Amino acid sequence: MEKQNTVILVFLIVVMLAFIGTGLIADGPGAAVQGFLKLQIQPGRLINDFIAVAGVGGTLINAALAGAVGLIFIIILKIQLSGPTFAAIFTIMGFGFFGKTPLNIIPIIIGVGLAAKFAGKTFREYIIIALFGTALGPLVSLIVFEFGFTGILGIPVGIAGGILTGFLLPAIAVSMLHLHQGYNLYNMGLSCGFFALFVASLVRAAGHQFENIMVWYSGDSVVLFWMVPVLSVSLIIVGLIAGGKKSLKEVLEIQKLPGRLPSDFMDLVSLEGSLINSGLIGLAGFLYVYFVGGDFNGPILGGLLTIMGFGAFGTHLKNSWPIVLGVVLSTLVFGKGLSSPGPLLAALFGTTLAPIAGQFGIVTGITAGFIHLFMVLQTGAWQGGMNLYNNGFAGGLTAALIVAVIQWRNTNKKD
Amino acid sequence: MKRKDFILHLIGEISSYILQGEPMRMVISLHQEEDGMHLAILDDNNHTDEEVVKIEKALNSRKRPELAGYYGAMTGHDLLGSSQLDLLGWQIKFADVGRTDSGIKIDLWLGGKKFESDRFNIPEDV
Repeated sequence: MEKQNTVILVFLIVVMLAFIGTGLIADGPGAAVQGFLKLQIQPGRLINDFIAVAGVGGTLINAALAGAVGLIFIIILKIQLSGPTFAAIFTIMGFGFFGKTPLNIIPIIIGVGLAAKFAGKTFREYIIIALFGTALGPLVSLIVFEFGFTGILGIPVGIAGGILTGFLLPAIAVSMLHLHQGYNLYNMGLSCGFFALFVASLVRAAGHQFENIMVWYSGDSVVLFWMVPVLSVSLIIVGLIAGGKKSLKEVLEIQKLPGRLPSDFMDLVSLEGSLINSGLIGLAGFLYVYFVGGDFNGPILGGLLTIMGFGAFGTHLKNSWPIVLGVVLSTLVFGKGLSSPGPLLAALFGTTLAPIAGQFGIVTGITAGFIHLFMVLQTGAWQGGMNLYNNGFAGGLTAALIVAVIQWRNTNKKD
Repeated sequence: MKRKDFILHLIGEISSYILQGEPMRMVISLHQEEDGMHLAILDDNNHTDEEVVKIEKALNSRKRPELAGYYGAMTGHDLLGSSQLDLLGWQIKFADVGRTDSGIKIDLWLGGKKFESDRFNIPEDV
């Protein structure tokens, strides 16, 4: 376990330093730092591509530092790095490209910590909820920057709102797990989306209208294009060096697992196999985006980093492809473009439903992917774009529907 | 969580696993003390050596407080798919799997630091 912890910790720190270094070089230190500071006062509701707002440099620094906040909490709480924590840090870094900032995630984490204390548990027991609960970071930014508070009044109110939100998340998260039975990998997406529905309704009732945001970077950047392939190949090389030939066998072993929550591939199979699996998922996602002609920008890189993280916690090529195929079919049936923002993000993040294909087979997986697309195109507006894991929200609803039908069939069919 | 609920969920998860094998007999024995408890489950199914090792490994998996506090809530709520013994493994103190004349016996020990598991036992001839 010590080896696993060291390998992941070193890898994550190297990635964060590489992000910061690349960011400083890409835009020059002055512009990069300025861009980073600009993001701290940017409302991060969906879809707000930070690259279009602050440039490549500032965004890379923001992503690295947001991930560092999560990693610091893990280190302070003395938690062994493993599949779920690896996924959480990659996800936070990914959403550091479009919505999360070090400042807007901290109040949520503190709120979850207080909930743990209130429930008589240790913070360690809720750390996964805290890390993934940062999906609601934009709620803090919304209160501070969009509610029209004058002076610095918005800051304490925003922090208090974030803490209250974090405080309520554990209760919701556990209930949502029961709803979909662990077949939606981004359970906090469903939990945060559920909570955001109430907040959005309250805010609308109070007379505030959510402006639709669509900030989407479509330019070319060598750094953004090569980031995921380089990271993916690095993961594969680290896995091969650490595990040798047997790690390839372990990758095949991972493909046999359904991936249902909580499937820590590092525990169930091995660290090395999981790292290679993450790298393969990253390469597959990159090739998909490349071949459909998608942009390599903040949200897409966020999606790719997230699925790479979950390559150690539920997602693999075998349980993912039926979901992606379902999303592609749905996109074509409803006359959307495969490279349009919604369908493209759904193809990546839709792998939140991978355990459905892993457990119930290809046809059910394709069906789940098909439903997921038209759901996710609506759910963002429902929750006012405050929940960054919108695909986790839509995926949770889809999983709940499929689980309910299968459960009903199993209960009523004769043996 | 109240102790009664916790026990119910543990029994739900472990019995779900045993019932997947469609045994003709399943016996659950619970012995409680203030600081801990002993839960024993017996069945009359055939289990391969490989399966026994797998059960023992899952039940004695390393303690994962960061997972037990959150995903541990799924214990005993399984309605679909196969049961997940590692959920139990994160929450118990120690597990032992042994063979009986007709099947296996799974012993689960739970408790705090003061809990002395050697005070608990069920007769070998059960």
